[in-house]
Amino acid sequence: MDNEFGDAFGQLLADRCTPEAVRGIERGEGADALWHDLVESGFVDALVPEAQGGAGLSLHEVLPLVQACGYHALPLPFAETMAARAVLAHARRQWPDGPVTLDAIGDALPVEDRGALHAALTTAQIAGAAARVLEMSIAHAQQRTQFGKPIGSFQAVQHQLSVMAEHACAARMAAQLSFASASHLPDRTLAAMGKSVAGEAAAVLAAGSHAVHGAIGITAEFDLQLYTRRLLAWRVQGGSPSHWAMQVARQWWSGSHDRAIDFTLERLGAARF
Amino acid sequence: MFDSLSLTRIPADDEALRAPVRAFLDKALEGVAPEVRARSWGGFDAAFSRALGERGWIGLTLPKEYGGGGRSLYARFVLVEELLRAGAPVAAHWFADRQSAPHILKFGTPAQAQFHLPRICRGEVFFCIGMSEPGSGSDLASVRTRATRNDKGWRLDGQKIWTTNAHRSHYMIALVRTSGDAGSRQKGLSQVIVDLSLPGITIRPITDLTGDAHFCEVFFDGVQLTDDALIGAEGDGWNQVTSELAYERSGPERIYSSVVLLDEWLAHLRTRREPSQRSLALAGRVLSALAVLRSLSVSVNGRLAEGESPIVEAALVKDLGTTLEQFIPEAIADALGDDPDATLPDGLARTLQYVSQIAPAFSLRGGTREVLRGMIARGLGLR
Ligand SMILES: Cc1cc2nc3c(=O)[nH]c(=O)nc-3n(C[C@H](O)[C@H](O)[C@H](O)COP(=O)(O)OP(=O)(O)OC[C@H]3O[C@@H](n4cnc5c(N)ncnc54)[C@H](O)[C@@H]3O)c2cc1C
Repeated sequence: MDNEFGDAFGQLLADRCTPEAVRGIERGEGADALWHDLVESGFVDALVPEAQGGAGLSLHEVLPLVQACGYHALPLPFAETMAARAVLAHARRQWPDGPVTLDAIGDALPVEDRGALHAALTTAQIAGAAARVLEMSIAHAQQRTQFGKPIGSFQAVQHQLSVMAEHACAARMAAQLSFASASHLPDRTLAAMGKSVAGEAAAVLAAGSHAVHGAIGITAEFDLQLYTRRLLAWRVQGGSPSHWAMQVARQWWSGSHDRAIDFTLERLGAARF
Repeated sequence: MFDSLSLTRIPADDEALRAPVRAFLDKALEGVAPEVRARSWGGFDAAFSRALGERGWIGLTLPKEYGGGGRSLYARFVLVEELLRAGAPVAAHWFADRQSAPHILKFGTPAQAQFHLPRICRGEVFFCIGMSEPGSGSDLASVRTRATRNDKGWRLDGQKIWTTNAHRSHYMIALVRTSGDAGSRQKGLSQVIVDLSLPGITIRPITDLTGDAHFCEVFFDGVQLTDDALIGAEGDGWNQVTSELAYERSGPERIYSSVVLLDEWLAHLRTRREPSQRSLALAGRVLSALAVLRSLSVSVNGRLAEGESPIVEAALVKDLGTTLEQFIPEAIADALGDDPDATLPDGLARTLQYVSQIAPAFSLRGGTREVLRGMIARGLGLR
């Protein structure tokens, strides 16, 4: 699932989308320079067919890019623009220059597919940000001392971090399922399942990382908030965990399987990776 | 972090095992009540195990020369998933199939393998796992049962507890002290294969809160073991037991313990014209969690198939899995109790009662939640 484009794009964001750069853009200092670099890199057309000047990749190949957006708290709709361009290209429509949201898709896609796409994009960004806050929390727990020891040596703190790791891992797998498609669009059920799980994980990671960090974590000055604010936003953007759980249940209801494993296996069978 | 757990495909020829296994199980378990099927890998039926053995479905991954199937761990995953889906009574051969047989293959002598594995594969011989003792649960390295060398081999004294199926098994692989004392911890531990028919062994079943008696106390009083009872190297017991636990903790049985209940409840929802929004949201939540967990479980299986020993990953998936297993009865009970005047189908009511009562065991057996979280923390570099 990890690949070279992911590494290259991650490096670009590590260099250019630093916490200071994120804060600058959030203060309204302009994002043109960063956007320009992202466009120059060519990744924004990754999903556009080759015949139309893109890289012709499929969704499962661009997962590392979208996860990287979450990992670096990219304050620009890169993933949305990449997806919208692909949809418009496949519909043989023009796409606007510059960053767009999924609204740019208009009627080029059935609403169900657009919803699934939105869910998949937020799921992958949750997975990226979850990995980031887990890393930050572990580092903090190793370095901050109280009672003469690193707080990470206290069992209650260790267990909290272990649970966060479990949910970060679940979010990562949820993202892989959401993106397990050989086209530019996710499978609707896998995207719904993925967002239902990742949305829950987002809450665990945001709450857990703040608990481990103590007061410093809720300051504006400390970087943690750049990621946790986004985790909570992505949790509901594109549909909350309950919303997507309902979609999964409706698909179960309208299908023919009573046994949970049969339904799950049938839907997992749609994964392409 | 844990980047090795990636979406993993079960090869098509292993997946192909599903259909014949399912066809066999549909027939074999026809009409069996759901509260009986809910016991699944706690349900003991020697004849059923032998029937599986006849079909080559025990020891699937063992080499053919030892009577095994020579198949991959993926094939075994498919087989086990089908057994759990159906709620098959697999306890008789389960422990030998899952861990004792691979363990003997890995650490045993060719003679031990030649002696035990073909019998295990035929479903004739059952094993139990002798790790826990009254004073040694989570702190397994403190075991006191001792094997002392003598001129005939080893003399065994001590006590095991919570030994699942000891009263119906032929052999136990026991973790024992062969040198030092409880203070020596991981040093001086070894594993021995104990023939449970030997004189000096007393086995007492313990009844659980549901009325079942699946685990036991086992007493060893001057039991004389032959020289070849030792499995692996003397003093290497701790390493061996740790590698055994990766098998014990990674399988689909750590995510599917409540799946028969889930299926009964889903079937019940289907009989409603319009299930409540709350029930649907719960169903969707659980089905989504299962899809992700199952993918994680396949992926741990893939690591094992590659010859790795993903101990931390297995602990992580087990903890996530048993959390869902325990959530299912609690949440279903709450959803059904939404309508206190409705009468439940008998099968559903009995299955819910059984699974709710036994659910605490899900996060104890195979290592407690707290112990697993400690292992994960070590994997994170915190210990
Ligand atoms: C259904 C069932 C089947 C079993 N089958 C077998 C079997 O076949 N063979 C076998 O050998 N064993 C078996 N066991 C035993 C099982 O492995 C033990 O129950 C388990 O290892 C815990 O040990 P304990 O019960 O002595 O609890 P304890 O170790 O006393 O633990 C009690 C509580 O204290 C917590 N605790 C203990 N130490 C720590 C610590 N350092 N930090 C934080 N919390 C801690 C535990 O997490 C738990 O919550 C079985 C258990 C069950 C429930």
